[in-house]
Formats: sequence, C-alpha cells, structure tokens
Amino acid sequence: MTPFELAEPKSLSAAVKLLDPDDTSIRPIAGGTALMLMMKAGVFRPAKLISLRNIEAKYSGIAADANGLRLGAMTTLSALEHSADVRKLAPLITRTMLTLSNVRVRNVATVGGALAHGDPHMDLPPVLMALGATLTVVSPSGERSIPLDDFFTGYYETVLEKNELIAEAHIPAQGTKRAAYMKVTTGSADDWPALGVAVVIEADGKAIESARVVVSAATTKATRLKSAETVLNGKTADDKLLAQAGDAAVEEAEFIADVRGSVPYKRELLRVYIKRAVQQALAGGVQ
Amino acid sequence: MTAARTISFTLNGLPVTADVKPHHNLVELLQNQFSLTGARETCGQGLCGCCTVIVNGKAVSGCLYLASFVEGAEVVTVESLDTPQKLHPVQEAFVETSAFQCGYCTPGFVLMTTQLLEQHPDPDDDQIKHYLTGNLCRCATYPQVIEAVKLAARKRKAG
Repeated sequence: MTPFELAEPKSLSAAVKLLDPDDTSIRPIAGGTALMLMMKAGVFRPAKLISLRNIEAKYSGIAADANGLRLGAMTTLSALEHSADVRKLAPLITRTMLTLSNVRVRNVATVGGALAHGDPHMDLPPVLMALGATLTVVSPSGERSIPLDDFFTGYYETVLEKNELIAEAHIPAQGTKRAAYMKVTTGSADDWPALGVAVVIEADGKAIESARVVVSAATTKATRLKSAETVLNGKTADDKLLAQAGDAAVEEAEFIADVRGSVPYKRELLRVYIKRAVQQALAGGVQ
Repeated sequence: MTAARTISFTLNGLPVTADVKPHHNLVELLQNQFSLTGARETCGQGLCGCCTVIVNGKAVSGCLYLASFVEGAEVVTVESLDTPQKLHPVQEAFVETSAFQCGYCTPGFVLMTTQLLEQHPDPDDDQIKHYLTGNLCRCATYPQVIEAVKLAARKRKAG
C-alpha cells in the first residue's frame, strides 16, 4: 500500500471536521476490511485516512425499543450477529450474518462501513433496505435523515457528501412481517454474490398485503423494485403471480455484468429468485 | 509526512511497544518487529485465514487490519498456544487426525478452532463448516480438519 497519514479523532463531530468536501484524498476508515482491499489493489490511494475507531462508544452500540433498532454506525457485524435484540426485532439480519463473508471480517467490518462503501455486492444493504431502514448522517453543518431507499446513487456511490458520515441506522421492528434474503454465489460458497434478493412481506397466509423487494449484486446498486412490489401487493401468491413479479423485476432492474455472471444470466437468476425468496418468506421466512 | 509512531499493546500476555507507520498492517508488524511468523499474508484479501490473529478476544485477518489499530489492545498469536513441553489441545488434535499436509494454513485453522470452540463447545459439522468458511487449505484436508475440531472439542471437555 502507498503511505498515508492517519488521524484518530475522539468524536464524530471532530471526525467530520477533519474531512474536506472538496478533497477526495482524505477519507474516513471504520473497520477497514473493504478499504484495505482497495488500497492493496492500488485503486484507492488516500493521502490521509480519518479513523472512526476512537469516536464516542455510543456509535458502537445497539439500542432497542418497541419501534425497532438503533444501530450505531461503528457497530460490528458480529455484534449484530450475536445481539438478542436484533434476533428478536429483526431476525432477518441475524440469519443474514451467518453467510456474510467470514467470522474475521464480521468481527471488524461495521454497519456504517457496509453502507457508506456503496458496494452493490454486500449483503447488509439490501436486507436493511427491505426492512425499511433510515440513516442519520452528520456533517459540520448538522445532521439529516435519509431513507436507505434513497441512499445509493450508483456503483460505489451514495448521496453522502465528502464531509458527511453515517451516525446511526434505524431499523423498524420486523413485527409480524415475514422475510427472506437469498443470494447466489457462482464461485465458492463464500464468494461475492452474483445476485442478492431481500423481501419483507406483510401477509395473511398467501394473501400479500404489502411487500418490499430489493435486488443487489446483479445491479449497479442495491435497489428497491417497486414494480415487482406493485404486482405482489394485495394479491394471492400463486405461481402465475410470482412469475409476473419476476418479469416486472427483470424489466425494472439495471443489471451489470461482471466475473460472476453476464447480464442475461443475472436476469434469469433474478426472475427465478424473486419467486423463491417470496415463497421462502411466506413459508415462515428465515427466522 | 507518514512518520512512524510508537504504539503500546499487549502481545501474548506481555506489554510491548512498537514503531508503526500508518500503512503497515498487523502481519507486517508481527513479522518485522517481533519475528512472529505464524500469521502469514497469503491471499491478502481476508479469505484464506492464514493471517489470523486474535485482537481483544476476537479473530481478525491481520492482513486487512492496520497495525495502528492494535494500540492499547490485547493481541494473541498462534505462538502463544504451546509451551516447549506441551502442545495446546487443538494443536494435538490436528496432529492426531493428520489435519494438514504442507501445514501452511494450519496456524490459522488452529487459532480459528480455539475461537470456534469458545462459541460452540460441542460443534456439529454444519457449525464447523460455517465457522471455518474463511479458512482455505489447498491440500484439501477439510474432512480431517472437521475430525480435528471434534477431537479438540472432546479434549477440551475432558480438560
């Protein structure tokens, strides 16, 4: 890796002041598992990194109330994995952790990092988006709230300003909703996926009241597929309906080809996995 | 502009200091300043587990972990497990089941197994496979590794 400077501020407010809205060579680092890969590959050569590891402890915690979860941005993925509150209020997250990268990465990688990195292959963004997460982000001029639906703007791109950091993610309780996240890995089982599909559904038996459907990895960014949701909402989930939802999803999604699959292949994967994910969710979901 | 700075941490139970530059990773620190070569950078991407180090009780990939991040931390490497007289029970289990051929990946598997058994004292195949998904053995001794983990669990239980 090329040399860089490292600053380790003690507070989130100090950290955002060290960032520069016009200087992309000064960037924040949380767990660093993803950034280290980019730095080793030489695609990211920062002049200075602002480590967030020493900011206030409250940004590394999980708080729960009847409405849902508040996840500090510096919460590690293994803390999510082992949290009784997460298991109770959003079991979809707990289940997702089991196949998210590996133990060592989960011990270090953070919630905020997984979102701010904007990598469409990651598992956490589609799951939190399907659950209806909202982010609180902080900059020197104050804080604002951003629905995760509106957070990603492109391949590794988000709405965050260069001097803006995620403080917290708010996750509504799953409640009676049923949910599933399925991914397809075309290399080894723990490789980055060619497709991720997350669905969160309110339903009575097979009668769907409302559904949130999110695609990732096959696309340039984690994306809600509202046309597929429209097909599903208010209908009974039979084979014909799920096929229609798959068709709508494939029409709407913006696919990207990579070493894990061509666009035609990923289109077919999405068509199949929309159906499977909805069926798995309705069958009791992944609890 | 990227001057080294001195950090303090605990290494295998002993307080130590080291001079690190911001772009050094934990494997470089352990190898170059402490001659500890049990953790090796191999895939360089956190996939293979050869660089496993325990930091504050949790396994990390030393090749993806900035050396500066261990300031004030408790760092444990594979070298701490055995004494000149006796191997660690997990090491014994790997030897007794022949859970390696070339042995290059073994330190990582052994450290991860100590962590696995803390979380799952009596693991089944599925738990072992999930926990060790980030450890690669190019000699493909995976069936023996699963046996080694189960034997280590029995040794651990027997005290």
